Amino acid sequence: MKALCWMGSGKVEIQTVNDPKILNPHDAIIKITRTAICGSDLHLFDGFIPTMEAGDILGHEFMGIVEEVGKSVDNLKRGDRVVVPFTIACGRCEFCQKKIWSACDNTNPNAHLMEAAYGYSGSGLFGYSHMMGGYAGGQAQYVRVPFSNVGPLKIENDLPDEKILFLSDIFPTGYMAAENAQIQDGDTVAVWGCGPVGQFAIASAFMLGAGRVIAIDRLPERLELARSLGAIIVDYSEQDVSVLTALKDLTGGIGPDACIDAVGLEAHSTTLQGIYDVVKTTLMLETDRPIVLRQAIQSVRKGGTLSIPGVYGGLLDKVPFGAAFGKGITMKMGQTNMHNYMKPLLERIEKGHIDPSYIISHRISLDEAPEMYKVWRDKKQSVTKIVIDPWIEKAA
Amino acid sequence: MSVPLKVKPNAEPLPQLGSAGVTLDGRYLPPPEDADGKIWVRTSRLIRRNSEDLYRAWRDVESAPLWQEQIERVSVTGEKTSHWVMGSGDKTIEWDAEILADEPGKRIAWRSVGGESENAGEVIFEPAPADRGTIVTVLQMFRMGKLASAWESIVGRKPKQAVIENLRHFKALLETGEIPRTDGQPHGSRGLVGRIKESAYGEKIATPPGLNRKAS
Repeated sequence: MKALCWMGSGKVEIQTVNDPKILNPHDAIIKITRTAICGSDLHLFDGFIPTMEAGDILGHEFMGIVEEVGKSVDNLKRGDRVVVPFTIACGRCEFCQKKIWSACDNTNPNAHLMEAAYGYSGSGLFGYSHMMGGYAGGQAQYVRVPFSNVGPLKIENDLPDEKILFLSDIFPTGYMAAENAQIQDGDTVAVWGCGPVGQFAIASAFMLGAGRVIAIDRLPERLELARSLGAIIVDYSEQDVSVLTALKDLTGGIGPDACIDAVGLEAHSTTLQGIYDVVKTTLMLETDRPIVLRQAIQSVRKGGTLSIPGVYGGLLDKVPFGAAFGKGITMKMGQTNMHNYMKPLLERIEKGHIDPSYIISHRISLDEAPEMYKVWRDKKQSVTKIVIDPWIEKAA
Repeated sequence: MSVPLKVKPNAEPLPQLGSAGVTLDGRYLPPPEDADGKIWVRTSRLIRRNSEDLYRAWRDVESAPLWQEQIERVSVTGEKTSHWVMGSGDKTIEWDAEILADEPGKRIAWRSVGGESENAGEVIFEPAPADRGTIVTVLQMFRMGKLASAWESIVGRKPKQAVIENLRHFKALLETGEIPRTDGQPHGSRGLVGRIKESAYGEKIATPPGLNRKAS
């Protein structure tokens, strides 16, 4: 089959590899009908995530048709249409029983690598480094799905793939970000980053009762999408715009009730502080660039909530923890507990509350994907979301 | 003696002795330190099964190859004795083991008696508070003389890590019926650096088969 392989920092290519096969009793093989490139794949592309190896197949947002199931899978059969969560969960351990699925204890074959780096291990993920399980990902024509008795959600409507696909990661991730923001009716919520997760966080914040959402970014196409959802937009790259001042001005001086950092470790900034972080990460004195986190702590109202769906990978410098303590803020974060949200969000899509396909800007073939990684990373075109059909030769 | 705190709705009585010596009279005990050529490893995991099931699975030594890395074969040779063969490829080491203590549902202790590995160990199955499963604690000792290099060249992991990984496999198998694995999945060309990293990650060590072996 064809698959997109990571071949080193800044380099991905399409290779012909073996088809996956059943390796464990709860496995399923899925023929992929649609897959996507995630913003967090850019962290891999840029070499920010350790324990990647040349030849690793990327991709963790995909859906398709069940091709084959292992002997202990009794909930799926050949021909079923499914969307697959990017986190793999066993359903049986202490954490799965508590519905903290992303902390599953039994799905990471390389847990020792993550324990060596972080002192704990989370669940296995598709296509996201050896430390996170080393599972082959879904930017390919077929994928092996472990614990397919627990994760995949069967789709029994005839909605097109594009409306369903984002249940694999970014819609639930944006939704959990809004849920973690502990929104009360009428709250003002600020969202940093209007990429796909930020978009769904904005939409979800409104669905959960936010009165006003303030969306912060610098890319016009993303800000336009955010405004189309009803958010007030702040372009931080405009001259004379200070995010902290803007958030005070828009909240009568008290700051947003909740702040959502949908950016994470590779934040871009136009300020001196941003340059400081680029220098420090280049010299390996810190691993992450926590510009958004700093701003969110500084701007959230006293007693407010900070929700962090953006990925952080390691050590952060100059985080204003004194302000965080002084204001008595609550911070909630972490990998998405996918399995809690897929079914209820599918119901919202079926009822027509939201059509997640509105964020798609590019529809491509697998062969075009390596070039699109560069295009998206360098923000050369107006990219909001790239969806891949792995079976077409070249997109129309 | 007066009791200073009376309201403890969920507290358990203090354990007297448990978990391969994790506590003694309510005081935490650190693991033994390596000394005199002996290395020690103590590791524990919460497993959501009752202690009887876990005891039975561990006590069935002939099924150890299903979940212990690189154990090729175990044969029971007597009521308390067994013969162990560990290896990879054409290199193997063998030893005999005898069970020193056997308390159903609670505890098993063993040691090697002759052969190419000198080791001893104990596993304790202790119910976790509030019916949350069983805390399984393994304490294992290896005497690493001349055998050390032979061991590491075959095992490919430091023995301490091997004990930790084996308990992780045991938990996965008993909780889910399988051991998570990626060996055998597709990948692109690894290149030279990739192959070096593969062995550095310990991915050269085959994941034990779990129930796959019985099926095939």
